[in-house]
Amino acid sequence: MTVAHDLAFGPTGPTRATELPTGVSAGRVGRAVQGVLWAVVLAFCLVPLILVVVISFGHKVEGAGWEWALTLENYQRFIVGANWPAESTSLYLGQLYWSMRYAVVASLLAVVTALPFTYLMTRQSRRAQAVWLVFLLATLSLSEVFIVMGWDIILSNNSGLPMLFAASGLTDWLKETGWFDVLRDWGLANPRNVKFKPSEVATVLTLSYLVWPYAVILLYPALSRLDPSLAEAARTMGARPWTVARTVILPSVRLPLIGTTLLLFVFLLGAYVAITVFADPSQHTTAVSVYEHVRGSTLNAPFGAAQSVILLITATAFLVIGQRLTRKSPGAQ
Amino acid sequence: MMLRVLGTIFMSLAAVVVALPIVIVCSAALNGGRTMFFPPQDSTLARFGEFFISEPVWTRALTNSVIVALGAATLSVLLAWPIAYRLWKTGSRASALLATFGSIPFAVPPIVFGVGLGFFWSFLGGLGTIPAGIISHAVLFLALPLVTISIGLQAIDRAHLDAAATMGATEAVTFRTIVLPQTLPYTISGFFFALVLSFNEFIVMFFVSASAFATVTLQIFNSLRNGYTPTMAVAAVAFITVSIVVFSAIARWGDLPRLMGADQSRT
Repeated sequence: MTVAHDLAFGPTGPTRATELPTGVSAGRVGRAVQGVLWAVVLAFCLVPLILVVVISFGHKVEGAGWEWALTLENYQRFIVGANWPAESTSLYLGQLYWSMRYAVVASLLAVVTALPFTYLMTRQSRRAQAVWLVFLLATLSLSEVFIVMGWDIILSNNSGLPMLFAASGLTDWLKETGWFDVLRDWGLANPRNVKFKPSEVATVLTLSYLVWPYAVILLYPALSRLDPSLAEAARTMGARPWTVARTVILPSVRLPLIGTTLLLFVFLLGAYVAITVFADPSQHTTAVSVYEHVRGSTLNAPFGAAQSVILLITATAFLVIGQRLTRKSPGAQ
Repeated sequence: MMLRVLGTIFMSLAAVVVALPIVIVCSAALNGGRTMFFPPQDSTLARFGEFFISEPVWTRALTNSVIVALGAATLSVLLAWPIAYRLWKTGSRASALLATFGSIPFAVPPIVFGVGLGFFWSFLGGLGTIPAGIISHAVLFLALPLVTISIGLQAIDRAHLDAAATMGATEAVTFRTIVLPQTLPYTISGFFFALVLSFNEFIVMFFVSASAFATVTLQIFNSLRNGYTPTMAVAAVAFITVSIVVFSAIARWGDLPRLMGADQSRT
């Protein structure tokens, strides 16, 4: 996910190559090259994904890996559990629910905070923009493991914020004013002090942090193309800043806004490290389960594959719904 | 006026929050002991020596990371060039489809593609080998050079092409004298995007490596269970430095705002 989606591949670009003279032999070579390219792309880009789909219908052999099959047992297990109809469990559906919940909340949080930031950034000089972009790209490319490490140090109970809360007397103040009990209700405190790990808040914040630079970079093209004279005109006619934002800026970036949220959502569906570190095991996601079934303690590749397919279907479903939303509404660009 | 102040405050706040975890990890690299403290205790640079020189676990992982990233970035640029070029040249439906297929690995959740590559390589017998890791990353990040090179090709001045065609230049000559030089910054940008992201990638490499080799990010993930050590923070310092240097270089010699899709009419 990133710029790739934002740029229309194909013959819509601003400049097109003029047809240059091509010899007969060059045409033949071109066709050969084209054939090789197709073979390579199909083999390496599509075959792995097709394998996932095919293996998701496979059958696990006790103690001996798995075999090819055409069974729906892995999908059935996902929906009602392995021992259905004797007993049913919604464990895996619950994990999918948490996947979606984290992804929706974190992507919305990222987009809502990134929008004003990106808008302000595009009003700066080209040079300043380049500096910001370098900074954002550097944090964006920084591996998930480092970012989780950083937040872990900040949020863990023996160092970072909880210690700061206790040392500064903020914990005592919270206890006096009664907010401490509220925090305990939210799962953000143990009897002695505040705690942020494990908690949904910490998980969502870290996930949101992970995709925030992506949000800025995806919103950047649309906002930088926004004609500043529109907002100025509205201001001149006496519109208040909030009205300008609501009636001029927001409508013109509505599509990229929805698109960005969807892309962040898809990306977050597969988040793994942050969830294992910050989320309570009862609130783990499908991605964690995939990992455990394919490589972890409970080796069951077909079931892991089936869960991957369900992640893919979820992602696709959200993308399709998003596209419907943007297409139906009037006034779309 | 009031609004401008609020805007500045908001921007600074955002910068602080974005920088905070990174600054904390980096400063933890200075710790003298084996545990992560913030602020660091008895500051030393000894951990840097461990990471880069003396600790074989980390030096091996670093070598693997560098090999994979360089190999994958080179390979993905080599693969992206003909695809992007044919798309720009012919604009045909087939070449657009090819470019779309090439971008698919980047668009699906990485864990799904990682699982798929794990199956793929176990069938081909390459699971756990470095070449498999290189090819996997090259495919995963193919979309990046594909996009930057496409942007570069579209930026070529049409008049130059027309002039070349009028003067009877063959496709090869035009390619060598106009297309290649004018798109070089974009090619290099694509190379570095792929390089940096490959360097930092973790989940796909986890499935492809099958624990037979470790890159730095894998090594860190494997060590997470035993708690953090300042040596891991050194890795973070090294990685963020590489990213900043690379992206600054792209900003300096390439057109970063344009690559990111900024409007060209305003400067």
